[in-house]
Amino acid sequence: MSYEPPITDYDEIVENCTCAFCGCNCDDLDYLVKNGHVVAVRHACRLGASKIMEDMDQRLIVPMVRGENGELEEVDWDTALDTAAEYIANSIRPVFYGWSETSTECMKEGIELGEYIGAVLDNQATICHGPSLQAVQNAGYPIQTLGEVKNRADMIVYSGSNAMNSHPRHMGRYSVFPRGYFRQRGRFDRTVVTMDPKFSDTAKMSDKWIGFEQNGDYGFYNAIRAVLKGKKLTQNVVSGIPAEDIYELVEEMKNAEFGVLFFGLGLTHTLSKQRNIDIAIKMVMDLNRFSKWGLTPMRGHFNVNGFNIFMAYETGFAFGVDFARGYTRYMLGETNTIDLLVRKEPDCFLVIAADPGAHFPNGANQHLADIPVIQIDIHWGPSTELADVVLPGSFIGVECAGTSYRMDGVPIYMKKAIDKPETCRDDEWIVRELKERVMKLREEPNVAPKYVPNPAAE
Amino acid sequence: MEYILKNGIVYDPANEVNGEKKDVYFKDGKIVEDVSADAKVLDVTDKIVMPAGVDTHAHVAGPKLVLGRLYRPEDSRRGVTQKTKNERGESGFSIPSCPTTGYRYSRMGYGTVCEAAMPPLEAKHTHEEICIIPNIDINPLTLFGNNWFILEMARENKIDEMAAFISAWLKITKGYGVKIVNPCGSEAWGWGMNVHGYDDKPPYFDVTSREVVRALAKANEKLGLPHSIHIHPNDLGHPGNTNTTIETLDSLKDIVKSNSKAASVRDQIVHCTHMQFHSYTGTNWRDAGSGAEEVAKFLNHNKHVTGDIGQVTLDETTTMTADAPMEYDLYQLSGLKWVNADIECETAAGIIPCIYSPKTPVSTLQWAIGLELFLLTKNPWQINLTTDHPNAGPFTRYPRIISWLMSAPKRMSMIENEEVHNWAEKRTSLATLDREYDFYDIATITRASNAKVHGFTDRGNLSVGSNADIAVYDLEPNNFDPSKDPEAVEKAFSRAKYTIKDGQIMVQDGEIVSTKPSQVLWTNVKGMEDEEKAVLDQVMPFFTQYYSVKWENYKVHDHFLSNPIRVDIEMEGK
Amino acid sequence: MKTITFDVIKRNQIALEMDEVIPDNIYSWEAEDFDKYAVPVGNSRFPITDFFDITVEGTADSPAEVKMIFNGDCGRVKYIGNKMSAGEIIVNGDADLHVGAEMSGGAITVHGNCEAHAGREMTGGTLEIFGNTKEFTGASYIGEWRGMRGGKITVHGNAGKQCGECLVGGHIHVKGDCDILAGIHMRKGLIEIDGNVNRWPGGQMKNGNIIIRGRLGRLLEGFVEEGIVTNPVVNGIEFEGTFIQYKGDIALKGKGHLYIDAEKNRDKLSAWEDEDDEYISLGDNRLR
Repeated sequence: MSYEPPITDYDEIVENCTCAFCGCNCDDLDYLVKNGHVVAVRHACRLGASKIMEDMDQRLIVPMVRGENGELEEVDWDTALDTAAEYIANSIRPVFYGWSETSTECMKEGIELGEYIGAVLDNQATICHGPSLQAVQNAGYPIQTLGEVKNRADMIVYSGSNAMNSHPRHMGRYSVFPRGYFRQRGRFDRTVVTMDPKFSDTAKMSDKWIGFEQNGDYGFYNAIRAVLKGKKLTQNVVSGIPAEDIYELVEEMKNAEFGVLFFGLGLTHTLSKQRNIDIAIKMVMDLNRFSKWGLTPMRGHFNVNGFNIFMAYETGFAFGVDFARGYTRYMLGETNTIDLLVRKEPDCFLVIAADPGAHFPNGANQHLADIPVIQIDIHWGPSTELADVVLPGSFIGVECAGTSYRMDGVPIYMKKAIDKPETCRDDEWIVRELKERVMKLREEPNVAPKYVPNPAAE
Repeated sequence: MEYILKNGIVYDPANEVNGEKKDVYFKDGKIVEDVSADAKVLDVTDKIVMPAGVDTHAHVAGPKLVLGRLYRPEDSRRGVTQKTKNERGESGFSIPSCPTTGYRYSRMGYGTVCEAAMPPLEAKHTHEEICIIPNIDINPLTLFGNNWFILEMARENKIDEMAAFISAWLKITKGYGVKIVNPCGSEAWGWGMNVHGYDDKPPYFDVTSREVVRALAKANEKLGLPHSIHIHPNDLGHPGNTNTTIETLDSLKDIVKSNSKAASVRDQIVHCTHMQFHSYTGTNWRDAGSGAEEVAKFLNHNKHVTGDIGQVTLDETTTMTADAPMEYDLYQLSGLKWVNADIECETAAGIIPCIYSPKTPVSTLQWAIGLELFLLTKNPWQINLTTDHPNAGPFTRYPRIISWLMSAPKRMSMIENEEVHNWAEKRTSLATLDREYDFYDIATITRASNAKVHGFTDRGNLSVGSNADIAVYDLEPNNFDPSKDPEAVEKAFSRAKYTIKDGQIMVQDGEIVSTKPSQVLWTNVKGMEDEEKAVLDQVMPFFTQYYSVKWENYKVHDHFLSNPIRVDIEMEGK
Repeated sequence: MKTITFDVIKRNQIALEMDEVIPDNIYSWEAEDFDKYAVPVGNSRFPITDFFDITVEGTADSPAEVKMIFNGDCGRVKYIGNKMSAGEIIVNGDADLHVGAEMSGGAITVHGNCEAHAGREMTGGTLEIFGNTKEFTGASYIGEWRGMRGGKITVHGNAGKQCGECLVGGHIHVKGDCDILAGIHMRKGLIEIDGNVNRWPGGQMKNGNIIIRGRLGRLLEGFVEEGIVTNPVVNGIEFEGTFIQYKGDIALKGKGHLYIDAEKNRDKLSAWEDEDDEYISLGDNRLR
């Protein structure tokens, strides 16, 4: 990395902005603004700063509709919105996916539209921390805010998560390095353990690296639980870790005053999926008999947790909620985006603030190529190539304000720092417009008539 | 729009109206003396008319609730209904979704609900949910009992500073009053511990629960807030906790009640919540018994205390409280999925599903103790009907509790027919109590007293000028004996004939006919600006260093309040 | 007795939801009632006759007298026999998600493969699948800790992951292989697997029994070997053969039992060593 001189040429500083990148939601960012553009960002990590500063790179500026020749053509807002509304109004199995990089205010409009038309609303949890949520639903959720970790924790465990690369400020701002009230010496007061098959950058920063074998997570945590119950291990090596190392680790975990387990996709997406988290949660519960332990999923997008929270208070279910029948349904493998796409069910797909083109498995994307796809986003991406209607939104936390929820559930109101490009619109506005237009096109809302089970008997 | 509610049998305890047949007039959202000839007549001849219900203590919005919904999809699934023209789809039984909460309260004839625990750091979340809940007004109480700043101020006995802090924090969080949960205990839980009794200290903080509670009560009265301190004492759910409860309430006897205008509405200086959970004798669950007599006796002799019951309804429900160590104890007992949510420098929370089965001795004991408290407390103005929703049961069971209170034969038949475990008879005096509530008493414990406890003057009564929050129930009290037909009572109170909120008809014949956005009530203390600034300056270095959010992002922005009702308190004699 | 035959005319890409068309609801329906009925598809409803050729024969006074026969590919027909309490359903072809979910009585036979969630949370009746099925056979609804409570599921093919999750009663018999974590969080009941299991059966089980006649890949540390048993009687059924008996999952103070075929899993025995490949060593572990 070469030296870059500090930026001195700017008009104003906007303080305490919130980073719209990962689940850390660092809210101490200062934007240096010149001519209505953010030219530099203070305090942010490399990932956050580059997202905020280079927001005009490959920016979607004007609405587009895919024409008959198969090319995206620039159109005015009315045409684009009408086309999109028509696709939605005529659909039988619409899926509205994304939402994790937009505000809860926008989701509020989205759920109204979804409920009206009878769509499936789903977010990125379906491809990232969905298994964590399922495990939470099976096993429980001993969580704490990140400030609690900063002030109290003397043992930090990262499992299946490479925070140094994915959440660069996590260790510095919340967990490992900061000087907390009861941990005045910061890093020196804490033991850091990384559990990961890979010797990651986080492992390099740690006091201990547990490199269990791939897909060995479930067996490994089960062994820890057995040891916590006082059992002598029968195997010399469990999931690639020698038994004596497990004893030592368990002893250390029991003796911690306040321990926290942070886990990432490395745990959610190996062989036994949600059961890895399930047993990790149970392990944390067992550890609470000896000292204080908690855990926190390392959520990826800055508002992926927000969508789950939002859906839970609106509907009672966290993600993958199906409104098709006029009541809410949530069923694994049935109302999740990937399952629906692989089964080739959806006939209209709205993607907002997400990039399925880049993240979805091939089978799912193949179906996306066959059906109308409406994209609301700020940047050009693989999904744009799949989209039939492109509606350029605005950048939450930079160009427009909105609420987001940090990985630990702390709500943050992300403020607006600069104006959006003239031809773009706020996500909230776009979804509201779509909603109103759909309501005009399909006047009778989708309320199924009361079903009489047995007309002959009456 | 003008209306006449014609020929109803009115129960309005605040105005000592006991079952009089009369008309109620309302216009533009307020109750008025008279209306013009154009007024629309709602014929409710011989039906029960009461002010709309006020819930003293429930958990309806906030981070705990959402964790509950998030991790209990099986509960959400239990209450799913189809959407209709007026209503969004419902979901949930013990932890209904936000829209569902509003609809169900409305259907029962309720108009105002107190959200009993709002952690300051996540207050925005609570307010976001309140915005989604339709039809009811909500006054959230801010959690103070384990706040580090409060603990420090209590240790140094700095009451003035604490008052300024509370005043500032109510503005920041848009809270209505002071909630204390297991004082010092939730802080001790930061290290996986608890405090035991009223004079115990959490690790590192050299302050006892007694000091914290007394200081907060003094600060509360200094400010003259409309509501008194709202306390959930230590040792919840532990056999033998009656002593702690009485000790806590007794220690506040000498505190002088504020004579501010807002505080003069209420009589109490402390409101003790879900007393049922705090009235156990014995040393463990094997020899546990009822402390209801003792607690009720204390209440009967001490006018400075009010309480709500937290009646167990014998359902499968979800317990959630800021008393996190207690939830961990419950987890150890039941082994069901456990949620814990600690919040930095402020509080903690725990959640666990709970099955109160009438077949088990402990649940039955809890059920009986709650009813005993209702029946042994002489003055209905001192107690409120709650289930501590969702802890002892969902709020949708209030009508059932009303039917139990109104019918001694019903209670006896449950005991005699062994619908409940024999501990109800063996370990409590419930079987010997034949007191029955009448409709006037019911109106007191579900509306009038509740409003008074919270310092509301504009609701909970049918006085001219009050909000037109009215409930009509499809029962004819003059030709009906509730003691003989408890099922009819339950049915009528579950589905109001009319629920009117701010003059708008929300429910007709038990169906939602219209909705309106909820309003949040919060307390704004005026005249403390300088003291607030001083205390903020004082706490700011600590805040900057040890909180994980910036000060600017801590407070609840106006954006999160839709149409709030601000209760202004003028500081006098300063 | 009433026989209603559904001959598939068209396979719809978007799944049909048949939760309303169960014997409990339709026992009195005649052909014209079906003509009037619209089946939910996505957010709309379409006439059921668009998808099936329906013939009704005979009469019925109760759901128990109804026999429904589906002929053709029902790979996109969800909720067949969902919440049914009596009657009989035969599917001659594949079936989609939730076959026999929450059923409390009656019988369902599928002569084909099933998608996931077959027999989820069922409380009674029998479900027989002649093909394979996928994840969560006889499991609980997500979040619920009380899964299948009664009845019997027989899978002649293979079952997917987490078969019998949170089982609290009933009997699941898989004649083929099972994927990982069969009987996870199980509390009661019986899971019988004739084929092989690759990893971790009975994770976090509290009680109940799992019998594996085939080869087991990996066993969890939470299980304690109790010894060898011959012809054990489990849940009132005698199982022929020699099994290694384990108790678990001790992390939960579990009292569940796991029986794996001793012959095929000799390497699991604590006394077993590569050189000592004598069957005699089994005897030392015999449970007394």
